[in-house]
Amino acid sequence: MTMIEEHSESIAANRLRAKDISVTLQKNEILNQLSIDIPDRKVTIIIGPNACGKSTLLRSLARLQSLSAGQVLLDGKNIRQHKTRAVAQELAILPQIPIAPEGTRVYDLVSRGRTPYQSALSQWSQEDADKVAYALQVTGMSDFVKRPLEALSGGQRQRAWIAMALAQDTDLLLLDEPTTFLDLPHQIEVLELAVRLNREQQRTIVMVLHDINLAARYGDHLIAMKDGAIYTQGTPDEVVNKQTMKAIFDLDCHIIRAPGHDLPHVIPV
Amino acid sequence: MSTSALQSLHNQRFRRTASLVLALIVILLLLATGTLLIGSFPLEFSQMLQAAQGELGQVSQMILVDYRLPRTLSALLVGACLGMAGAIFQTLMRNPLASPDLMGFSAGAGVGALSCVVLISSSYMVVGAIAGGLITAALVLLLSWKSGLSVYRLVLVGIGFNFVLVAILDLILSRIDINQAMEMNKWLAGTLNAIQWRHVEQLVIGMLLLLPLAFWLQFKLNCLALDDDLATALGIEVNRTRLAIIIVGVLLTALAVTVAGPLPFIAFVSGPIARRLLRSSDAVLFTAALVGALVTLLADTCARYLAVWVNMPTGVFTALIGAPYLLWLLASQIRRGQI
Repeated sequence: MTMIEEHSESIAANRLRAKDISVTLQKNEILNQLSIDIPDRKVTIIIGPNACGKSTLLRSLARLQSLSAGQVLLDGKNIRQHKTRAVAQELAILPQIPIAPEGTRVYDLVSRGRTPYQSALSQWSQEDADKVAYALQVTGMSDFVKRPLEALSGGQRQRAWIAMALAQDTDLLLLDEPTTFLDLPHQIEVLELAVRLNREQQRTIVMVLHDINLAARYGDHLIAMKDGAIYTQGTPDEVVNKQTMKAIFDLDCHIIRAPGHDLPHVIPV
Repeated sequence: MSTSALQSLHNQRFRRTASLVLALIVILLLLATGTLLIGSFPLEFSQMLQAAQGELGQVSQMILVDYRLPRTLSALLVGACLGMAGAIFQTLMRNPLASPDLMGFSAGAGVGALSCVVLISSSYMVVGAIAGGLITAALVLLLSWKSGLSVYRLVLVGIGFNFVLVAILDLILSRIDINQAMEMNKWLAGTLNAIQWRHVEQLVIGMLLLLPLAFWLQFKLNCLALDDDLATALGIEVNRTRLAIIIVGVLLTALAVTVAGPLPFIAFVSGPIARRLLRSSDAVLFTAALVGALVTLLADTCARYLAVWVNMPTGVFTALIGAPYLLWLLASQIRRGQI
């Protein structure tokens, strides 16, 4: 525990922080007085077993979840006291299973990402066009702009949604299990994209992921959760070890060094 | 993709919308002019020009200015109100079935208006319609709300309410003076038969107030059509915006119902037609208004023209247009396993 406290002390000026947040849904305590700092300009990945509160934590950080106690701070101020539109210019979140009306075309969807910068009177600027064009290009969706979402493959659809979040042009980008329903090559593609956004543009990325090995490979900072609380956090080497895997997943495993990049890799026994 | 390519796509889209809107307006103008001339007392176009200068014979002048003109104008305005209301609710609830006529909001406005006529005076009809519509909307939404919005629960509760409200309408009609009941019965079937200039004034004032609001909200409405989380993520105050949008939709419905009775199916068909024409998944309120105006004018012209042989209210004709579409929509949604 002391390690965690020290850690949060040393980077107190991080943009996005949760302070003693609790979430109760239908009398079930999902998060219990959880505090966390999201390190700026890093790729943070939240891991943990099903129903440990990973998604709830991510949603809370993005003010989508109402809290029963505590607060989330954006730039030192309660995120709910910011205008939600102002928050949307700093922080984008892609929920787990986003829904769009039937027939929505990629171009329209990605353009929606510009909403926080538009109003009923000024709806489309040159800057909007630049950002949307960039988002389409960086996600490799430029050739599909006129396609309706239904006509895309799972990987393409996911990239279209990520493009929408990117068009929001925010420093903080939160992705809730962005690799769900994707095959391995597409999972890698999405994660490479997230890392590239971080490395090239210093955006802060926070993701929830199921796959520990992918988390270890792509995360700078891992947060391991169990039963609505943070079990441990740190670099992949600090988090991905036999003892943590046993504690959070009840999984007996070997840890090897992944070939090619010197990172821990979990092999279940 | 380059910015300029995107910009040209954007412009292309804009031109498509603009040309379609323009085409619809031209069609509406031609049709509206036509409806002023045809009927059991046909007029010439040149007579219309004379009327504009006040040089037409008294009878023709009366038929044109006191009878046909207000009727045509109110058909256009009522249709526009209903078309927009339909597109608003269908977009907000994310389902083409969720139009105010199917969910009981129109019937609620009808009960409110009729109660007002019976209990107070017919000059407060619009107040009654608004109150009735808002109360119905509140009840339907409350009863179908269960940790979020389920569209099918909403539509089923709405249809249930519709039955109750229609029964209440019949009950009121059976208790009032027979002459008044006959008068109100025509109104309830949806008719533009007894339109006067004061109705047109009412519609114009209502539209002047509601149109800017609707267009102001349209841009947020398109985000709410995604889902609540995404709308919040994009910086929309979801609950406050949704409430404002519901109120505007109910007001548009109540305005139309006060003048023409609960004309069925116009709200239901206009939005989907507009979206299909524009190949868009947005709310497309303005196009939906034009489509609503067109459908209503067509239905009312049928009602008026065929009145020589069979005297049927406008509502019968709007139902003839809308009901087959409802059946087709239900059939296709069942086939895709959405119901």
